[in-house]
Parts: sequence; structure tokens; C-alpha cells
Amino acid sequence: MNALWLVPLLPLISAVILILGSAWLGRRAVAVLGVGSVGLAALLTARVVTAFLGSGEASTQVLWTWMAVGDFSVQVAAWFDGLTAVMMSVITGVGFLIHLYSARFMAEDDSYARYFAYLNLFVAAMLVLVMADNLLLLYLGWEGVGACSYLLVGFWYKDVANGAAARKAFIVTRVGDTAMALGLFLILAELGTLNIQSVLQLAPGHWATGDTMVVLATVLLLGGAVGKSAQLPLHTWLPDAMAGPTPVSALIHAATMVTAGVYLIARTHGLFLLAPTTLEIIAWLGVLTALLAACSALVQTDIKRILAWSTISQIGYMFLALGVGAFGAAIFHLVTHAFFKALLFLAAGAVIYCLHHEHNIFRMGGLRSRMPVTFVSFLLGASALAAIPFTSGFYSKDVILLAAWQHDPLLFVAGLCGAALTAFYSFRLLFVAFFGPAQQEPDRTIGWVMAVPLGLLCVGALAGGALTLPLTDVFPPAIGVVNHTIEYIAITVTLAAVGLAAWRYLRQRPDPASGGLREFWFAGWRVDALYELLWVRPYCWLAKRTQGEPVDHLYNGIVALARANHRTLSALQTGQLRWYATGMVFGLVVLLAVLMRAAL
Amino acid sequence: MNSGMWQALSPLLALSGGTVVLMLQIAFHRNPRWSVAITQLSLLLGAGLLLWLWPGSDYQSLLLRVDGYALLLNLLFILAAAVTCWLSPAYIALRSEQSGEFFLLLLLATIGAMILAQAVHVASLLLGLELLGVALYALIAYPDRSLLPLEAAVKYLVLSGAASATLLFGFALAYAGTGQLAFTGLSESLALAGSGAYTLVMAASVMIICGLAFKLSLVPFHMWTPDVYQGAPSPVTGFLATVSKGAVFAVFLRAFLETGAYQFPIILNSLAAIAVASMLVGNLLALRQDNVKRLLAYSSIAHMGYLLIVLLVCSDPANHDLAVEAALFYLVAYTVTTLAAFAVLTWPGYEQYQGPEHTELKHLSGLLWHHPLAGLLMLVAMLSLAGIPLTAGFVGKFYLFSAAVTGPHWLLLGSLVVGSGIGIYYYLRVVYYLLRRDDNHALLPNAGWHESCLAVVLLAAVLGLGIAPQSLIGWIQSIL
Amino acid sequence: MSSEAALWPFIVYFLAVLALVATMLGLSWLLGQRRANQATNLPFESGVLSVGTPQIHFAVEFYLIAIFFVIFDLETVFIFAWAVAFFELGWEGFLAVGLFIFILTIALIYEWRSGALDWGQKTRTGWKPER
Repeated sequence: MNALWLVPLLPLISAVILILGSAWLGRRAVAVLGVGSVGLAALLTARVVTAFLGSGEASTQVLWTWMAVGDFSVQVAAWFDGLTAVMMSVITGVGFLIHLYSARFMAEDDSYARYFAYLNLFVAAMLVLVMADNLLLLYLGWEGVGACSYLLVGFWYKDVANGAAARKAFIVTRVGDTAMALGLFLILAELGTLNIQSVLQLAPGHWATGDTMVVLATVLLLGGAVGKSAQLPLHTWLPDAMAGPTPVSALIHAATMVTAGVYLIARTHGLFLLAPTTLEIIAWLGVLTALLAACSALVQTDIKRILAWSTISQIGYMFLALGVGAFGAAIFHLVTHAFFKALLFLAAGAVIYCLHHEHNIFRMGGLRSRMPVTFVSFLLGASALAAIPFTSGFYSKDVILLAAWQHDPLLFVAGLCGAALTAFYSFRLLFVAFFGPAQQEPDRTIGWVMAVPLGLLCVGALAGGALTLPLTDVFPPAIGVVNHTIEYIAITVTLAAVGLAAWRYLRQRPDPASGGLREFWFAGWRVDALYELLWVRPYCWLAKRTQGEPVDHLYNGIVALARANHRTLSALQTGQLRWYATGMVFGLVVLLAVLMRAAL
Repeated sequence: MNSGMWQALSPLLALSGGTVVLMLQIAFHRNPRWSVAITQLSLLLGAGLLLWLWPGSDYQSLLLRVDGYALLLNLLFILAAAVTCWLSPAYIALRSEQSGEFFLLLLLATIGAMILAQAVHVASLLLGLELLGVALYALIAYPDRSLLPLEAAVKYLVLSGAASATLLFGFALAYAGTGQLAFTGLSESLALAGSGAYTLVMAASVMIICGLAFKLSLVPFHMWTPDVYQGAPSPVTGFLATVSKGAVFAVFLRAFLETGAYQFPIILNSLAAIAVASMLVGNLLALRQDNVKRLLAYSSIAHMGYLLIVLLVCSDPANHDLAVEAALFYLVAYTVTTLAAFAVLTWPGYEQYQGPEHTELKHLSGLLWHHPLAGLLMLVAMLSLAGIPLTAGFVGKFYLFSAAVTGPHWLLLGSLVVGSGIGIYYYLRVVYYLLRRDDNHALLPNAGWHESCLAVVLLAAVLGLGIAPQSLIGWIQSIL
Repeated sequence: MSSEAALWPFIVYFLAVLALVATMLGLSWLLGQRRANQATNLPFESGVLSVGTPQIHFAVEFYLIAIFFVIFDLETVFIFAWAVAFFELGWEGFLAVGLFIFILTIALIYEWRSGALDWGQKTRTGWKPER
């Protein structure tokens, strides 16, 4: 267990070396360092988690005491329990595979070292986020992953649009982060601590269930989670964030960072249990997001945007699970989603790689025979996403739907509709891109470096449902009535949707025709336009108006004062010995005079 | 004469033996390499003996006291001297025909500093101070091919002489008032002294404070600092800024505590005034300074002002330990950081042996891109001096801050904050120059392993003390 | 006696001195005659004209020898102090003074070898004069 502190440190060190040494390191060295550090971290995590599964005891570990001055002490400590173990395994495991994949995917990029530096930094920040034992450190990781996301979305910064996408991602999540910071302040003010375990212990005694303050605090935290996890109403940044390299989308915008909001709520579930109102909001927010995003995914033509909308929709399911109190189910879906969505993104990346940056699925087609490995990967990924029976996605989504049914049948029905849409759009993507007549010939192969991660993730996407996560000690037990009827209904609906997709897209290839509703969904329910009108324009107007206003004069005054003093004092530094001696004598005389005045 | 005494004095004796050997070597076989080797060896021996003495030494004689406080500071001075010695040979060889005596003087100055850290008697204080001072005059004037060092040395000699005279006058008055010269003896006599002696002793204290304040370059005794810093050869400036000031502060703190001077509000008020003035004036003077050495001189005025807060905090016995801890940590952090900055300034000095050193800001322009290691070291040093987190300087400043908030020192705290705020401006100005993309950079020779090693060590020290200060803090706490 | 009463005589004396000096200078400036002859600004040396520059260069060896004299003279002071208490200090004192003299001897050797005692042309170890 003592190696725990090395897990986030390894990627961090590697990132620092890569940043500093980018000029001297060769490509091979960069790849070895970038991939190897995360690989080592994954191995260490495996060791730590194995040890934990043996003992099963949650513990706090002081990773590093920065300083202890007087009564003041700054410690960086990790809280290690089942949830941490699960998150760390996902981050390092899936992270390693994506790093490995990137080694080839990005091989021809000029900024190879910069890419791996950012990616390693991201892994380190994400690990800090999930290992933190207090909310402040968690916030540090939270902001760290946000910054890395910004850097990686705008990785190809020479294209202005990418820069704009990065900025949008950063600013929109910033809105949520601000809410979260306020929530943290509120918790600190009310409970006097930010240590997560202390907060969870103190909260039930401090607040009655449904207390206004706890509802406010949880809603503010929820704001942060909503921003980071791209839920309504702060979901608009994620489709644009696809401007980054595809492995980045797989790691940050599918498997790990966007699920940080889910993690945050699961981690502080004790607070949320005290605020049933907030939970209700979360559930409805989740299911609404799932539905809306699925509709948008239905009509997209860009392969990555489809996956992005589907990510938003799937995280909506996780929120639904959180909202109905099935925290374990949410984390379970988080894990399986990490597998199959990373798989889908990487497979999409392989297609994009081989077709020279072709993103439009209607210009693909017939790839089934030409890229068999990718096809199998995509098939498995799409099946898991659509929750076809016996894939991992089936098991995790099933639990969520069951929990929703027990909570409120209306939620269940909405969730079921979402599931049908999910199945439809995922197989639409598969059929259009991989079946039918070929439009372009791939002229590159993906090689083992990209095939191995795909293969391993296939295993994960298939068998991930068989995992038993060590979460029983972390969350309150879910109400476990197995209801097979629900299961059968879900299976039927899913298969019907797949059939419908096959019927529609296998026989012929309808063009992405335009139409009112279609365009409305294509533009993501026009939320972007709404925000532009509501916030961006008024804000820019206000900013223009307040340019060079009197507040600045105050600061200018301080500067002028300092400079004037500087000039006066500098005039005394004449360089002449006699003046210096005079100064000394002056000082002595003044001090003596003051003394005599007091003494006599 | 017992074995305890020999043990306690062995580091001093090792260095003294080193000077004798060095003198003979210079007399019979003048060779700079040998001189450097002998100097480093005796420093190494001294450091080794200090570590051997480490935990439990508490030897006390009439003149000297070898306790944990003295040991830690002695170790610091020896290491700083070793760094100076490591930096100097190439620099001095270009600027003087004979470099052997440079190291002799360096050793002597180090011995003086060590004695100061151990002094518990007015006589040993003066002895150490003069040994340090006289060696420094010669060191400052060492390059025999330019005028600036000579000017600096003369200024320092004259003013320092005046300050020493003031100091001596103070001692004489103190003796007249109390009939005592040992610190503890003074403290006993002060407690008994009548009202007549009181005035005498207060006048003595003020004069002693003035004398020491000169050496620490506190306002208004600070005016020599920029000229001497600029004129002195860079390695010597580094030594002067760290070892000389550290040693004088060490003896100041010890004298202040052991003589019981902290009981007198007049002394406290004078010190507070000096501290506030130093923090503000030092930082304001540095504001638009274009010469890095002068800038560091002004910044050292401010830093000594910050450090003076400790003296006022430890006047309350409850906070005594925290204050001394803060002082020691701050001294270590300041020494390491300042040495790092002067190491970088020494580098360009290797090339231009004619004319003044190239230490204007514009000469540092783009350093980070042309010489990443040197640039990085300077960058980290500046950030540390500015007190940016994760550097040694931040922890030191935080220590001072947490010591100061224990008592009603709001004026001092305010000055600390305002001073640090102004400070950030000019430190970042250096950083701005370091980061500029400029092409006019043929000034710096490529770093050899010699300089690179030192740069890496100093970099690791500044960052290490900022990232994991707890080991040093624990060490300091264990010896107090 | 109050302190202010004690200070009065001093203040009066101080003011009186200032007044006296001011009067003397002021009166001579008012009453004195002014001429602008050739010899007006020459220093008065009892009628003897001063010749040459006041900045005479003495050889640096004079100062060196003077400093050595001071150093070794001080040595005798220390040794004398020891000699007075010879029996009280015993062997310890003897050893201490022995060490003292030993170090001074080495200093002397150093001075000798580095040419500090030579007059004119230096013969420092390892140093070749530039031609």
C-alpha cells in the first residue's frame, strides 16, 4: 500500500520531463516515457487494489506532509476505499490502453511530446481528483483535469475553431466550477471542515433531512457535477470538444473526466441523501439529458459527434441512477461505459486514421471487410452501448432501469425510451459506416499498437458486466428486488430498435435529409443559439461598456505612488561615500534622540 | 582543556588548520587547483565534523557556545562557502593574476562567520565580526584589473569601519553601565541596573543595534549595499549576501535573546521602526532597477527587514521557539536562493574579464531559451525570493507570517504584505526578461559539467525546500 | 534636579559657541579687505614658496613594512602578556603560545616566499613579471 503515492506521481513526473525536455527527447523516448509511466501506474494500481481486495479496509494515507508550522499543517492525504479503487483502476487501466493507442495514432504529429505531456498531466490530475481525502484537494484535481481538457481540446491550436471549442469547454465548465466552489465554501462555513469523511460524519448531526442549507449545498455541488459531466443545462461544450485528437476524446470526454461529476456525487452521497429534493432534481435532470442527447445523436453525421451526444446521454443514465439512490449502479455503469465508450472512440479513431480524417459517416461505408478488427470492435462497442443482452452495458443499464422503476415508473418509461433511441442510433452508426457500398478505401493499417488496446477493451466491453465492484461498504445497500419482467421489456425494446435501424439503414442508405425537427435536433435543440442570445451577447456588450473604467484608476494610483517613492529614494543613492556616512549618522542620531526623549 | 572542548571546537580547528596549510601551499607551490582542493577539503572536513557533533553537542565556554543553533548555522555557512569556492576559480582566474589568496580569504571569512554563530561574549562577537569583515574587504577588492571592485571595497571598508567603531562604543558604554561583557552577564546586570545605568545601557543598545544594522544593511544604514553588491565580484557578493548577513543575524538574535534586551520597549520600538522602513524602502528602491546585482542588493535590504520580525516576535517567551524556527528556516531558504541567483550571475562573468560584469537585466534577456539550466535556476530563484508557493522562499515567508500573527504585530505584518506585493513586481520583471525571445545572446559560454552540477544541486535545494520542507523543519525543531 | 534644568547651561554654551564663530567669520568678511593679487590664493608657508605636488608617491614597501611592524609588535604584546603569567599558565599556556608563534612563523614564511619583504623587484612564487 505504500506505493500509493507513486501512482499519481509517476505520470506527473513524466509530464514534467516531457514538458522540459520536449526539445531533446526523440519520438521513441517520448512514447516510452509517456506510455510507460501510465503503464507503471496501472501496474502499481493493480498491486494496491489487489492488496485492498484482500483486506477490504478503507483507510486514509498521508501521502505527503508539505509543512507543519506551529499549529498549522498542510497534509496531502488519500482516502482509499472501494470507490477509489474502482476509479483508479479505470483511470490507469483504460488510460494506459489509450496512451498505448495514441503512440501510433499521434505518431505523425509535430507536437508528439506536448501531446503526451498533457495526457500524462491529465492522468495525474484525475488520480488526484479521485484519491483526494478532502474536497479542496479534490477541487485541485477537478481544476487540473479541466485545464488539461482545455489544452487537449485546443491541441491543434493553429485552427481557430479548435481554440474556440477549447475556450467554450473551459468557460462552460467554469460556470459549474464556480457553483461548486461556492458549495465548498458553504460546507466549510457550516461544518468547519472539508475533509470528506468528516463532512459525511458531521452532516447528519448538523442538518436535518431536507434542511434548506443542505439542499443549497448539494445543489451547488450538483452545479459543478453538471458542468463537468456535460448534463443539462451545461452540456453544450462536449460535442464541440470533439475538436481534440480522438484518443483524447476517448480518455477525457468519454471514459474519465466527464464522469467526474458522477464520482463527486457518489463520493459525497451522504450529503445528497440528506437532500431528497436535490436527488429528485438529479434523477429528472439525468433522464431528460439522456433523452434529449439521444435525440441529437440520432441525426448527427459526424462519427465523433454521435459518440459525444451518446456520452452525454449515457452520463444522463448515471445521473438517473444517482438520483434514485442507486449509487452502486451509477458507478457500475460508469465503469462499463468507460470500457465500451473508450472502445467506440478508439475504433472511430482507427476509422478516422485510416480514412485520412474523414468524420462523416455517410462518406464511409463497407468498412466491414476492409477493417475487420475495427469492425469487430465497433460491433461489440455498439452492442454494449445499445445494451444488447450479455454485453457489459446490458447489465449496468438493467440495474439502473430497475432502480428507476422502483423509484418512479415515469422515470423508468423515460429511461426505456432513451434505451430504445440509444440502440437505434448506435446501430445506425454501425450500419451506415461499416455496411453498404464502399465510398473510400482505407490506405493505412492500424498495426498492433492500436489493435491491442482495441482487443483488450473488447474484452472489457463484453465481460465488464461480470465484474463485482467492491462498493458494498461504500454505499447504502440498494433495494434489491430482481424483477425479470423489467428485464424482458428492456430487451424487447432494445432488440426492436436494433431491428428498426437494420430495416431502415441496411436496405438502402437514406441521405441525411434536412427537415425541421431533424435540423433542430442536429443543432442540439438550438441550446447554443439560445445561450448566445441570453448570455454571450449581453456579456460582451457589458464588457465593452466597462472597458477602461474608474476601477483601474485606483490601481494606477498605487503604481504611481510606488514609482514616486522609488524616484525619491533612488535620488538618495548618490554613490558618494559622504552621503552614505551622513545617512548612517542621521540614523544613529535619530535613534539616540528618540531614546533620550524617552529616557530623560 | 578537556576532550569535550576539543570536540566542540574541532570544526573551527579544521578550517583554521586548512588556512595554515593553504598558506604554506601558496608560499611554496603556487597553484590555483591545489588551493581550491585544500579549501574544499578543509570545508568538507569541517562539515563532516559538524555532522559528527550533530545532535547532542552543547558546549559552553566563556566566549563560545556550540549548540544546535550554532551547528546548523555553521553547516549552512560552510556549505555556502563551498558553493562560493566551487563557483569562483574560473571567475577569479580571469580577473586576477593570482587566485590562491582568494581561497585563503574565503576560509578566513568562513571562520569568522562560524565564530559569530557561536559567540556568547562581546569579545568573540567582535573577533568574528572583524575576521569576517577584514577578509571581505580584501575579497571584494580581489579582481586587480578593474576599478569597480576597488571602489566597492573602499566604501565598504570606510563605512564598515565606522559601524564597527559605533559597535565598540556601544560595548564600552554597556561595560560602563554594567561591568559585564558576556551576554548572560549583561542580562543579569540589566535586571539589577538602576535608573542611572539604564540610560547608559539603552544608549549602548542603540549603538550596538546601529552597528549590527549596518552589517545587515537595514534602513537607514543600507546605502552602501547596492554599490558594494555591484562592485564586488559576483561570487563574493553571493557570499557577502548570505554568509556575512546570516552570521551577523545569528549573533544579533542570540545577543538579543541572551542579554534580555527584548524586555525594553524602546529597543523593540526602534527595531520595529527599522524593520518597517527596511521592508518598504528596500522594495521601493528595487522597483525599477535595471542592474540585477543592485536589484538583489535592494531586495536583500527588504529580506533582512522581514527577518527582523523574528526578533520582535520572540520577545514574547510563548512564541520564542516558533520565532527561532522561523528565523533559521528563513535563513536557510534565503541563503540557498540567493546563492542560486548569484551562481547564475557569475556565469556570464567567466567570459568578460575586461570591464564591468554583464549583470544588467538586458544581459539576462532570453536566458531561459539559450541556456535552459541557467535560466531555470534564475527563474526559480526569483520566484523563491518573491515567495511563490512550492519554492523555499514561500515556506520561509509563510513561517515568518505565522510567527508574526501570534502577537500584536499588525504594522509589521502589513509592511510584510505590502513589501512582498511590491517585490513581486520587480522579481517578475526579471522573469519577464528571462522569458523574452531575444537573439542577442552570445554572452554566456556553454555550461560545463562544473556549473551544471552546481545548478542542478541548487535547483533541487530551492525546490526541495519548497516542496518538502518538512524534513528541514523537523531537523530545526529537533535541535532547538 | 529636573533634567531640563540641567540641560540649560549646555544649550546656552552651545548657542554661545555658534554665535562666537559666526561673529568672527562674519566680521572678518565684512571688515576685511579684498585683493586679487597673484599670491592671494597661495598657501601661506612662512614666506617659503611651496614646490611640487602634494601628492607624493611613496613606494608601497614603506606601508608594507609599517604594517609588518604593527603585526609583529602586537605579537610581542601577546607574548609579553603570557610571559608575565608564565608560571600560572603552566604547560597549557606554553602550548598555546607555541601554537601562536608557530602560526605567526608560517605567516612570516608566507610573506617571505611571496616577496612581501623584497624591496623593488618582487620574486613571488610562481609569478613571472610581465615585460
